[in-house]
Amino acid sequence: MAYLTLSNISKAFGGGAHDHVLAVKDFNIEILKGELVSFLGPSGCGKTTTLRMVAGFETPTTGTIAIENTDITNKAPNQRNVGMVFQSYALFPNMTVGDNIGFGLKIAKKPSKEIKQRVKEMLELIHMAEYGNRYPYQLSGGQQQRVALARALALKPDVLLLDEPLSALDAKIRVSLRSEIRAIQKQLGITAIYVTHDQEEAMSISDRIVVMHEGKVEQTGTPFEIYNFPTTVFVANFVGTLNTVNGEVVDPAMGLLAVDGVKFESAIDLKDRKKGDKVRIAIRPERFNFVSQEKKANVLDCKIENINFLGSIVRIQVMIGSTKFYVDTFNNPFLDLPNIGDKDQVTCSKEAVLVLDE
Amino acid sequence: MNLSSRLRNIPFWSWVWFILGALYFILPLYATLDFSLRMERDIIGFKAYVSAFEDPDFLKTFGYSVSVAIVTILVSIILTIPTAYWVRLKLPEARRIVEFITLMPFVVPAIILVFGLIRIYSSPLTIPLTDIVLMPPLTTFKFGTNILVVAGYMVLGLPYMYRSVDTGMRTVDVRTLTEAAQSLGANWYTIISQVILPNLRSALLSGALLTFAIVIGEVVLASFLGVPAFGPYLFLLGQHRAFEPAALTFTTFLMTWAAMGIIQLVTGGQGQVTGAH
Repeated sequence: MAYLTLSNISKAFGGGAHDHVLAVKDFNIEILKGELVSFLGPSGCGKTTTLRMVAGFETPTTGTIAIENTDITNKAPNQRNVGMVFQSYALFPNMTVGDNIGFGLKIAKKPSKEIKQRVKEMLELIHMAEYGNRYPYQLSGGQQQRVALARALALKPDVLLLDEPLSALDAKIRVSLRSEIRAIQKQLGITAIYVTHDQEEAMSISDRIVVMHEGKVEQTGTPFEIYNFPTTVFVANFVGTLNTVNGEVVDPAMGLLAVDGVKFESAIDLKDRKKGDKVRIAIRPERFNFVSQEKKANVLDCKIENINFLGSIVRIQVMIGSTKFYVDTFNNPFLDLPNIGDKDQVTCSKEAVLVLDE
Repeated sequence: MNLSSRLRNIPFWSWVWFILGALYFILPLYATLDFSLRMERDIIGFKAYVSAFEDPDFLKTFGYSVSVAIVTILVSIILTIPTAYWVRLKLPEARRIVEFITLMPFVVPAIILVFGLIRIYSSPLTIPLTDIVLMPPLTTFKFGTNILVVAGYMVLGLPYMYRSVDTGMRTVDVRTLTEAAQSLGANWYTIISQVILPNLRSALLSGALLTFAIVIGEVVLASFLGVPAFGPYLFLLGQHRAFEPAALTFTTFLMTWAAMGIIQLVTGGQGQVTGAH
């Protein structure tokens, strides 16, 4: 049963006819208790606006928000018991770490003994037991964000909202802190919404991802589904690297497609399409192999155009017919890479050939 | 790099202009100090200071101006903080209008202000189209005149107080702190008293001390409203005495420097703004 429900949520900004902007359009999701759902998308797609509506900082133009079937749509932010972690940490500069964490408990008029105990628990949870008397300006960015997380969790909120909490941190800290956040969320079993524009972040920590674009939901699914079975061109392009090319249906019954005359076999059900239909075909670069390594359903002649080292990945640009494709392979110092200009063959399975909606 | 080597690295012409500027400021001050110490012929002493501070009118007018300054500061804070806070949080489109209003005291001279106040408040406040008097003219009783004085000083100090508060709020990202406090269950009173105000200490102090300096030295408003303020006292003293005004002028300078020193001390190390923007 859904714990947090957003039903038909829309948000419009601006009153006039000319500056009316629909930031969120008909957003629907049911989030289970203890689930971490990421809202993923580029800047301006409406993910933060949606989060702020759950927090109560924005009022939906239409739709309802409910926690355990209790409608909270029109409740003030300070009455929702929803914890929030901000991109800019938002620690109170005039209070120590301990006072920051205990602030919500003090507002709730908890006994001072209970506050002290809870603050101690939170400090231990974020591995900062010795930092209770420090002020925010004495902490690093990563430490400040951990304190912000502890502060949000101290009140045992019904839902935890995280608005790009790691954007202001450097790459290494981001990787370690996101794992910590996920571990704490799982340990406490708290329902959470995580807003990010970083697909790697979303995929590494989420139970499910909602990919958003221009205020609308493009696709909702597990990280595995989103990455391997994108249903729209936007999702396919936004999440991971993707070869997307124009093709046409050759034989719907056989799942046969063609790209500039080169035939591809796909596992996608093409029964609703007819021969000659124009389609958008997508194949992940890492789904290709060179035939010398392995042979799958589709065996395609190619010419090596370019080779790029990207660290752990080697990205090879090939021409299949007159169409450019990327082929990714793991970097290996003993890898026998082809040379630019060589003619070779690549292969990919039927399942790797996707057909997308525009 | 230590101080002496840093000083050695400063270019020659920078020193020239610095010394010229300092002389332009320090020489008249020194002349005032020197004059104030020569009340007794051929003796350097503090007789002028003693004479000035022993004058009962000095204590009366200084005490009055300090009291009015404190009331003006408190009322300005009560007016300015919620206004600046609300504009920053909910009405950013009103910011330009509010800033324009706070700049008006620079444009309207104090003499126009006081004539306007006298013109309006020297008549009784009545219900329109009736003879029912709600309040007698403020200029006819002492407390009423004091209200006018405080109101006038608030207007004169408004640009300084509002800008100090507004700058302070900008520095601490009031919007995000407010939302953070709301997400933790705080109401408006708690947010302002426990989150916003404590982080505006240095801004409030700057605004308060600037307002204090304005009130202490102000002459026009106090003269025309006929109140026993320090500014007119100093002006009148200058008509009849020579050394005591110099002593009091130098003392006022010292008080202003002390105020600036306090601002520096308070703003110099109490904590920094958190978060990235």
